[in-house]
Amino acid sequence: MKFTPHVLGIFTDIYGSFDAMDLPKALLVAIVGFMTVLLVLAMIALFIRLIAFIFSLIEKKATVEIIPVGDSDKKETAPQKVGVSLPDNESQGELELIGVDEATAAMLMALVSYKTEIPLNRLAFRSIRLVEDE
Amino acid sequence: MGVLLENFTTVTFPQVAMWIIGGILIFLAIKKEMEPSLLLPMGFGAILINLPNSGAKHIIDVMFRVGIDNEFGELMPLILFIGIGAMIDFTPLLTNPKLMLFGAAAQFGIFFTLCLASLLGFDIRDAASIGIIGAADGPTAIAVSMELGSKYIGAIMVAAYSYMALVPLVQPPIIKLCTTKKERLIRMDNTAGKAPSKLTKILFPIVVTIIVGLVAPDAVALIGFLMFGNLIRECGVLNSLSETAQKVLANLVTIFLGITIAARMRAEEFLTVDTLLIIALGLFAFIFDTFAGVMLAKIMNIFSKKKINPMIGAAGISAFPMSARVVHKMGLEEDNQNFLLMHSIGVNVSGQIASVIAGGLILTFFR
Repeated sequence: MKFTPHVLGIFTDIYGSFDAMDLPKALLVAIVGFMTVLLVLAMIALFIRLIAFIFSLIEKKATVEIIPVGDSDKKETAPQKVGVSLPDNESQGELELIGVDEATAAMLMALVSYKTEIPLNRLAFRSIRLVEDE
Repeated sequence: MGVLLENFTTVTFPQVAMWIIGGILIFLAIKKEMEPSLLLPMGFGAILINLPNSGAKHIIDVMFRVGIDNEFGELMPLILFIGIGAMIDFTPLLTNPKLMLFGAAAQFGIFFTLCLASLLGFDIRDAASIGIIGAADGPTAIAVSMELGSKYIGAIMVAAYSYMALVPLVQPPIIKLCTTKKERLIRMDNTAGKAPSKLTKILFPIVVTIIVGLVAPDAVALIGFLMFGNLIRECGVLNSLSETAQKVLANLVTIFLGITIAARMRAEEFLTVDTLLIIALGLFAFIFDTFAGVMLAKIMNIFSKKKINPMIGAAGISAFPMSARVVHKMGLEEDNQNFLLMHSIGVNVSGQIASVIAGGLILTFFR
């Protein structure tokens, strides 16, 4: 079975000549050509959207089974509801800061999250320590 | 002595004119830094090929036959596409796929110029080859014009690469003409969308190749090599190949490509009224590409709640990454806090795909 439509050879088939075109023919070529490019790119854009949608579905399913990162003691006393996770840009738990202010620590955590492409709610930081140059 | 003098006496005026043209190309490449990697070899090649009894003619002809005009296809442009594919990061596009449409819109100049060239009396294949200047993509222009057997490849290449280099001069006045100050001041959301997963980045080149291949089979070589390069980049296990494709391979092919194109810059073929017409038509192609990209954004703004800065539509003309930079710079000139680079790069890479599709489509139509 041939999937590729032969219709794309329409111009040479119809006019059967490679001579210069008159205005109506030229316009037909331009319109069909331009619309085809637009259509193909729209198809690709739809594909990207579709993939993104599928991934978001898979991620949603996965978060149902993941308990958010947090204090292990708290988890025992007050377990989180299954299926409810923190937003991607939020985190919880305790973090020891040694010689680092909160703003810098927040920036570092955001950077690590961005570079590793792991949402903050899936990362656990134990401590951030300032290392002095020798 | 007689032999030496013979060379001086056989120099013709058209040959001298070609030396001057070659000199101008070299000047533009060095002094103005306009596409130096191609204009310089082309300029020097134009001088080489137009010396009387030039000993370089034969070897450049051989290079042309092996690298560009062989029975199996256009080897050099296609190999160059692997390098270009490896250079392109499609992330901005994958984050905001709507930008794809601007890439398509900005191919309007190709089809408009095709019509115009045909109406001016060029046969369909030459007209299509001239129209493809509007792809603002050298390898596509070479591949299409060679495949269609155009006799104007030298002029088409000079026009294509010159206008690509002239994007910072050609586009801003057109953009300003098509937009109001208020439109140019539109700020767009710069918060990064959700980054595409690695699997999406790997699937993207494969699926694009399949979709394009099904619609325009003749585009498979062009899009396939471009996407193959991108797959090497994104797969994550071929980093050294990706690096090689981006740098060594692309540079190597570029060196040969420029000087090989000069085979079609012989005075007797190049110095014609048609060449001037082609150069003028190439300018039309760039102008109407820019116009259509901007207009699509304006039309979308009528229906969309989130307004788009219409200037980003102009970046769909593929001249990567120059066009995106031009738009970004124009945005900053209007409002020094308006950062359009992320959006314009997304549109620009979609233009790269669109131009290859348009090239393949033209081949499918007219081969």
